[in-house]
Amino acid sequence: MLRVRSVYFAACAVICTVTWTNQALGQEKEIQNPLAGDPSAIKEGSSLFRANCSPCHGLNAGGGGRGPDLRAGVWVHGASDAAIFRTINQGVPGTEMPANPFEDSEIWALVAYLRSVSTGTKTPVAGDSAQGERLFFGKSGCAQCHMVKGRGGRLGPDLTRVGAARSVEYLTESIREPDKELSLAMSDPNNHYGIPAEYDTVTAVTKEGERVIGVAKNEDAFSLQLLGQDDKLHLFLKKDLRDVIHERRSLMPAYTESRLSNQELQNLLAYLSKLRGEDR
Amino acid sequence: MKMATIRVTVAVAGLMAAAVIGRSQVSYNRILKAAEEPQNWLTYSGDYKSWRYSKLDRINASNAGSLALQWAFQSADLGQFETTPLEIDGVLYGTGQDNRAFALDARTGRAIWRYQRPLPDKVQACCGMVNRGFAALGEHLFMATLDGHVMSLDMKTGNVIWDVEAADYHQSYVFTVAPLLVKDKIIVGVAGGEYGVRGFIDAYDAASGKRAWRFYTVPGPGEPGHETWAGESWKTGGAPAWITGSYDPELNLIYWPTGNPSPSNNGLERGGDNLYSNSMLALDADTGKLKWHYQFTPHDLHDYDSTQIPVLLDAPWQGQPRKLLVQANRNGFLYVLDRTDGKFLSAKPFFSRLNWAKEIGSDGRPVVAPGSEPTPEGTRTCPGALGATNWFSPSYSPQTGLLYVAAAEECDVFTNAPQQYHEGHDFMGSVYVPASGEKTWGALRAFDPFTGEKKWEFKYFTPPNGGCLSTAGGVVFAGDSDGNFLAVDARTGKDLWHVQIGAAIYSSPMTYALDGRQYVVIPAGGALFAFALP
Repeated sequence: MLRVRSVYFAACAVICTVTWTNQALGQEKEIQNPLAGDPSAIKEGSSLFRANCSPCHGLNAGGGGRGPDLRAGVWVHGASDAAIFRTINQGVPGTEMPANPFEDSEIWALVAYLRSVSTGTKTPVAGDSAQGERLFFGKSGCAQCHMVKGRGGRLGPDLTRVGAARSVEYLTESIREPDKELSLAMSDPNNHYGIPAEYDTVTAVTKEGERVIGVAKNEDAFSLQLLGQDDKLHLFLKKDLRDVIHERRSLMPAYTESRLSNQELQNLLAYLSKLRGEDR
Repeated sequence: MKMATIRVTVAVAGLMAAAVIGRSQVSYNRILKAAEEPQNWLTYSGDYKSWRYSKLDRINASNAGSLALQWAFQSADLGQFETTPLEIDGVLYGTGQDNRAFALDARTGRAIWRYQRPLPDKVQACCGMVNRGFAALGEHLFMATLDGHVMSLDMKTGNVIWDVEAADYHQSYVFTVAPLLVKDKIIVGVAGGEYGVRGFIDAYDAASGKRAWRFYTVPGPGEPGHETWAGESWKTGGAPAWITGSYDPELNLIYWPTGNPSPSNNGLERGGDNLYSNSMLALDADTGKLKWHYQFTPHDLHDYDSTQIPVLLDAPWQGQPRKLLVQANRNGFLYVLDRTDGKFLSAKPFFSRLNWAKEIGSDGRPVVAPGSEPTPEGTRTCPGALGATNWFSPSYSPQTGLLYVAAAEECDVFTNAPQQYHEGHDFMGSVYVPASGEKTWGALRAFDPFTGEKKWEFKYFTPPNGGCLSTAGGVVFAGDSDGNFLAVDARTGKDLWHVQIGAAIYSSPMTYALDGRQYVVIPAGGALFAFALP
């Protein structure tokens, strides 16, 4: 019967009916996973994960377009069983992680599964993060389009907490091959308002032949709201345009090795992976 | 409190004097001839043939550009407002999210009453806490609720006349369907295909609420079709029936489509065709006995519910007059069946990139493309799980002879994985995600219903969740997922008028007339909007 685009959306759609019922509230530190290490719970958690979490976190929890790698042993919102339980149950306000209407036993099965695939070692990303920060705001030009804690440009996604939200592999791919998978904005996960969720390069061609290139903040059959490379909002009626071209590529240039050495990339990753948005 | 009661009474009395002349009851006979009184909208799809077509022509292709908002009604919840309200003699009756219902003065949009059946915390509906509308008979309305009840409400007050439990919501049996009234019975079909329910279609006596019959869409032991389920898989086989069917009074047959087998993406443990999932069922209206069935997608692995509205047409087929049934199916084919016996006549693709099947063979079975089944790593298949179209209504105009369908262009990557059934829990056998790097979009399309030839299309920026309505004014009304409600020329698809109403449209328009004015109504977000010429 499902007729929304992913289970993730379906889960979001019922958030409003979720009642906080678990016993962990207020006593997080004491609660341990009663199903820890149980093979059948791990198996159940695995299938629950695929059906509900994989659209964002990847099929095997290795990270996806919207969710971080959950195998790395890095638990930004708390590493205890009880904290992971809470994160799954309640979601993380202000992020793309929704609350989820699972039974307590299902959440514990998910926690058991995540523990089974986690390496459990918290290895900091190799590289000099201070150098990375200088690159970001300096010669690499990242800050021309990306904002961190209110500083920088606005054409691309805000990266204030990108280290918590994205895996290192995802960040690497986004830097080296930004066209491979366009970033998602996810401002309307339930599709209530029809806001497009992609950072695609869009070129609007006016009747006079002027080309305005930018990122679509919204678009429908009749109009286009474009944030241009000129940092201006261009609000078009499509009847006034000759063409609207979706280029299916990112506005961000590919930072290949000639542009960003492996060492520089590593420094940049060390900086980005530290961005967790805590002291915003 | 007393003041409020008096005020409501006065409002109702005033309305009756103004708008109800000699008629205050909906008889079965009126619904039979619903198309002959286009000032009203008496049943979910407008009439028993499910054309969603109105003979009203006050709004036409030359004046539709002047349409203007007359009123808006705020329900309660922002979200998927899926109702098609009924309009009966000056009053609109609709249902909302979370078991809500309401009656409105159709001239002003002012509420006459509001009702909400308390919604238990544990109710699970896969795709929103929605409801699609009422059926009506006499002075009563009929509603099927998210917590598995079927109810009768008084038209003038919203008072509960009767309330029966049809199924246990703890096991994820929920209703989202607008009931169909046939003679003295209320027909409903259950939802829950994401949770391993055993689907059914029920009939209830409109006067008492007593169940008259039940048809299980998954046959039990000893019943024909049971052999199409491996082992015990029938017990959790799904095949829900969550969209309103059609009815042929001459044949006394109800045509009711069914949804996906459970678990939807993993067929390893449910070997066989899995009857009567993804089928069209022809049931005797009095007994619920199966007259015939046709299965569109045997042993489905892609969530291709066949819960699309069956459109009944009487037309020549290869020179002979035939009673036909046409359905634009979620699997991407436009089907024509003989509705007397279910004989397969034709199926033409209406989705350009369809790749799950090569064709529908002359025996009516799909020729499934090798390698299209879900795998643990994922297989890109078209259409995606959202379908080439979905539950929202098509429309057939006898004026143009065209079938109008809101279509989605999306391919998905389907994965599968074994999953154990747990009562009341998700039971889908894995997941699907939109195919990476592919722009999805949609369109309102006009087809010759018999040849499947596309006559025109109006492009939507995103895949739709809203259906359409055609009228004798030569206009098709439709809503897109970007919040646009629009009127296009029924012959050419040219945009005549559109308005942004601020939320994705998850419903199909309806129309009625009052004081010589034609109104068109569409829900979106949490509100109902009524438009008319100035």
